Amino acid sequence: MKLSFDAPVEVFRREFLDWLAANRPSEAEMAADPARSSAHLPDWSRRWARRQFDAGWLVPGWPPELGGRNAGPVEQLVYLEELTRAGVPRTTNPQGLGIIAPSLLDYGSPEQIERYALPILRGERAGCLGMSEPGAGSDLAALSTRAEQDGDRFVINGQKVWTSGANYADFCFLFCRTDPAAPKHRGISVLLVEMDQPGIRVQPLPEIVGRDHPDLNEVFFTDVSVPANQLVGKLNDGWTMANGSLAHERGMVWLGSVLGLQEAVARLVAEAPRWLARMGEIERAVSIDQIVRSYVDAQAARCLGHRGFAKLVKGGSAPEQALMKLMSSEARQRLALAAAELQGARGLDASAQAGPFTEWTPLEQYFVTFGGTISAGSSEIQRNIIAEKVLGLPR
Amino acid sequence: MDLELSEEQRELQVNVRRVLEDACPPALARAVHERGASGAALWEQMVALAWPGLAIDEAHGGLGLGAVELCLVAEELGRALAPGPFLATATQFVPLVQEAGDSPLARELLRRVAEGGLIGSVALAEGDRWDLAVIECSAERASHGFRLHGRKTAVFDGATAREIAVVARASEAGAGHLAVLLVPASAAKVQPRTLLDPTLALADLAFEDVAVPTDRVLIAPAPGTERAVERALEVATVALALATAGTCRRIFELTLAYVKERRQYGRPIGSFQALKHRLADIYLAVERATALGYYAALTLAEDDPRRAEAASLAKVEAGACQRLVAGDGLQLHGGIGFTWEHDLHLFLKRVKAGDPLLGSAAEHRARLARKLGLGST
Repeated sequence: MKLSFDAPVEVFRREFLDWLAANRPSEAEMAADPARSSAHLPDWSRRWARRQFDAGWLVPGWPPELGGRNAGPVEQLVYLEELTRAGVPRTTNPQGLGIIAPSLLDYGSPEQIERYALPILRGERAGCLGMSEPGAGSDLAALSTRAEQDGDRFVINGQKVWTSGANYADFCFLFCRTDPAAPKHRGISVLLVEMDQPGIRVQPLPEIVGRDHPDLNEVFFTDVSVPANQLVGKLNDGWTMANGSLAHERGMVWLGSVLGLQEAVARLVAEAPRWLARMGEIERAVSIDQIVRSYVDAQAARCLGHRGFAKLVKGGSAPEQALMKLMSSEARQRLALAAAELQGARGLDASAQAGPFTEWTPLEQYFVTFGGTISAGSSEIQRNIIAEKVLGLPR
Repeated sequence: MDLELSEEQRELQVNVRRVLEDACPPALARAVHERGASGAALWEQMVALAWPGLAIDEAHGGLGLGAVELCLVAEELGRALAPGPFLATATQFVPLVQEAGDSPLARELLRRVAEGGLIGSVALAEGDRWDLAVIECSAERASHGFRLHGRKTAVFDGATAREIAVVARASEAGAGHLAVLLVPASAAKVQPRTLLDPTLALADLAFEDVAVPTDRVLIAPAPGTERAVERALEVATVALALATAGTCRRIFELTLAYVKERRQYGRPIGSFQALKHRLADIYLAVERATALGYYAALTLAEDDPRRAEAASLAKVEAGACQRLVAGDGLQLHGGIGFTWEHDLHLFLKRVKAGDPLLGSAAEHRARLARKLGLGST
């Protein structure tokens, strides 16, 4: 056990910070042309991705030809920590960089890597993930979007929903059913589908706050025809990738969510005194306790995350990883609620102006946090996974 | 930050657990509850294994290990429901003596603990509050030392300890500063407390003008003594937090095993989602408490400036954990957990002690609030 990192890791941190200071997009640049969805690549974002890729700072753990520098896991942690602290988004197409590109590197053909994975990494193209459907949310394997093989093509019919960034994406990493007769987990395949083609209709689905800037979409497929070589991996082997995709997602997010939680607590603590000053003695004590509980949550999340990470680095298994999404998303929600309640009736005000970079009010933020507890495996599904996979309780 | 145990630490944990599985089965705690059995034999075994002097320098006869190892042993003792004066001696008395610096008295005490299994304790709380600001017990300067006067409560093993380090407030010279005076237990009026969990021993002590000669002054009153006492209290707090986390983990394991084995409606009750979700939450609480406990122990071992905050975090989390785990553990055991015959109650009664002693979760949240600058608005 050790509180600090070894000296070479600190050298690595210094090197990255120096590079970051010289190469990061400026606040002004980002504010002038904000990303409008999770698959929108403003010019600054494209240039930023390319600079990171060329310098080996995009995915430091990967080899140089994939935008990395063969860094170890601890170095990658330090890199993510500093990038998050600097307030610079690593990418404006997180599902592309975090899920689609790594899945293609694992399962895709050399041609698919050339046409899809590398352009994502270089900030040239953005992808969306076609997973959930009206009838397949938590039970993703129940998906029914159909892809029928017709000679050397697939013909796709069906509907996706909650598809982040579909309104801006260049292509979709689409999970669809290729064998309706097989058991539900065994008849699913993944196709790469260009979004700009006949038969695809994207209907934005404005969210609970920020109606004018939707990121979620419904996507309708009507007789969409794609060449058979757009199949990723083996036919009917898509479920393996679905699990892999979510694993990529989880491996990536714990640190970000912990740092986000810590930053949110710091902001709450800084802003609290002016609201507390309006309260009576007992009400104030109760409110302070809520804030401190959130502070403890953030520290617990930090320690639990680092403990799990240290176990993985030492080559062990880390059941802590399964706890992180549940814990940090619910902690974030408790915090947002405490922040909203702290403001009393003033907390009911709407944010001054709605834009893609709006500072949400605490009450709006509270509603936004449900994105964390619902998506990518709801808290209820996380508890099932922990109970069954980690604790070994019978199904 | 690396919060995973090293090879050596894991080995220590495994060895301690193995010793306690033989030497301290739940039957021992039951014998204490039912027949007034004592933990004396277990303590002798701990002394033979050099556990009391685990964190004492080798130069003074100890093993020379650090706060992390000390807290790991405390965690295992909590897990095993061990009776006896380990917490009092190794996690309270020794750290306070170590804060005294390199005096002949401190050297002698450390050697007696490490080599002879001296049982020591710390008398700090007054009115069951472990808050230095409330200390009124007075140390009045006398011709050859001090005269000690006042009442202390909830002294761990206060009825069996040979030496008590009493934290008192100097009344004249160095007025207001704290002093730590070493008093033989025989000089105090001892009132043992009758606890729901007799595997723990607490006593209230009264000192009525006890003469303490100069060579028994462990820490003389001076501007730095508050911090010295706080530092020792931080070690005690983290050790108790991890002992509580250890007991919580055992309750969690018992409960998990029970819901896998108990069948109703033709299936294990652990297959019902209502129970699964509660077990997931219990597991999360135990892992949170353990992770924050290890973090706090590490700040002590590295003498990091965050140690006071970390100790409060660990105690808050241990308190929250026992609150959930004790209640849900009992509820999920159903009727059998409600009986005297089942061992569960032994663990439940112990784990409850983990909250109020050395400051409750609520009190430590208040400390955190002050550290965050929220206390004075």
